[in-house]
Amino acid sequence: MKGKTKISIDYARCGESGRVDPRTCGICLRVCGPAVFLLHQPLGAVEENPYKPRQWRVTAVHLSLCTRCMKCVELCPEKAVTVTW
Amino acid sequence: MCELCMKHGAGGKWYLNARHYSNEIVEKYNLRDFLMEQYTNFEQMQVRPVMGFNGVGLGYRVRIPIIGRIIKGFAERMLTSTNPPTNPFRAEGHIGQVVPLEDAVAILEHCAAEPIIEKNCMCRFMSRGIEEACCINFGVMSEIIDKLPRFIPEKEKYHLTRREAVERITAHNKKGYIGTIWFGPFPYINNLCSCASPECAGIRPRVDYGIKSIFKAEYVIEAHADKCTGCRACISLCQFGALSWSWTLKRVIVDQEKCYGCGVCRHACKHGALSLIPRDSFPGFDGEY
Repeated sequence: MKGKTKISIDYARCGESGRVDPRTCGICLRVCGPAVFLLHQPLGAVEENPYKPRQWRVTAVHLSLCTRCMKCVELCPEKAVTVTW
Repeated sequence: MCELCMKHGAGGKWYLNARHYSNEIVEKYNLRDFLMEQYTNFEQMQVRPVMGFNGVGLGYRVRIPIIGRIIKGFAERMLTSTNPPTNPFRAEGHIGQVVPLEDAVAILEHCAAEPIIEKNCMCRFMSRGIEEACCINFGVMSEIIDKLPRFIPEKEKYHLTRREAVERITAHNKKGYIGTIWFGPFPYINNLCSCASPECAGIRPRVDYGIKSIFKAEYVIEAHADKCTGCRACISLCQFGALSWSWTLKRVIVDQEKCYGCGVCRHACKHGALSLIPRDSFPGFDGEY
C-alpha cells in the first residue's frame, strides 16, 4: 500500500471528555478486521481510584495494518474518526 | 531446545522448571509492587514512549532500512532481558512461548503456584473492548488481580482449584485458542494465556512486525497422509495459516515454517491424522524457534 495511513480521533467527541465512553460503544474496535485500534487510559490521567479507572480513549496504533476500508469512519456514531493518507 | 530452555531450563523446558514459579523470586526482586504498577497501567504500554518512541505506527518504523533493524533489535533485547526488572511501564523480560495442551496441563498440575485464578484477557479488552475470561494466572499475580476490578470476570467463578484450571484451559484450547506461557517479568512465570491472533499483544509483534516477542513451541505439527480424509476441518482452526488444502493430493498439507506448534488443529481431526512431533527432530528447524 502506497503512503502512510494516518488515523486521528476527535477526543472532544469520543473519549474521556467526550459524550461517548469507548468502553460501551467500541464499534470501531470491533469493526476493524486487523484490530488497528487500542483502548487505553490517557497518559497522565488523574483518577479518583487508580485501580478502577473511569477515563478511556481509543488510539489507532497499528497504522501499517490499516486497509483503508473506512468502516470505522462510516460507523462511528459521533463521526470522531478520520482516516487520511 | 530453544534458547530459553538452554539458559533457564535446568536441563529441561524452561516453563517446567518449578524454580521460576516460586515466591522467593517475588521477594528477591520485589515483584509485588512492580506487577501492581504494571497491571494498573497495562493498556497504556503501547502508547507510552520508550526512549522517545511509542508503538503508534511501529509497523512503518520497522520497515525503514537499518533504523528498522535497530528498533527490532532493541525491542527484542528488552523482551528477552534477564536483568532485574526496573521499569514497570516497559515490557521488560516479558518473553513467552507457545505451549500445546499437554504442556499447559503439566504446568498447571506440577508447577503453578497457588492461588490460581482466571482473569479477563487484557489483550482482547484493549483491542476489541470485549471482556472474556480465559487468562490463567498464578502466584502473586492472583493477589494483584484481586485489587483490579476490570480484570475480574463478572459471571464466572474466578478463583480456581488446580483441577478447574485444567478443565478451563482444555476448554479454551479445544475452541482453538493458542496456549502461551509468559515470563512476566523474567525470571517469574505467572501467566498461562489462551491467545487469539490478531488481538494478542504478544503474538502480534512477531506475526505483523517480525519482532521475536514469542517463541514457537518445542513441537511442530505433522499430517499423516494415509489418515487424512480431506474433511478440511483443521484448516479453519490454524491462526497462522500453516495448514492448507492441496487440490492435487486431495489432502491437507502443512507448511512447517509457519507452524507455531500450538496443536489446536488436532482437536478438529476426528481421524487422528495430526500429531505433534518435537521441533528438534526436524534437522532444518533445529535452533529456529
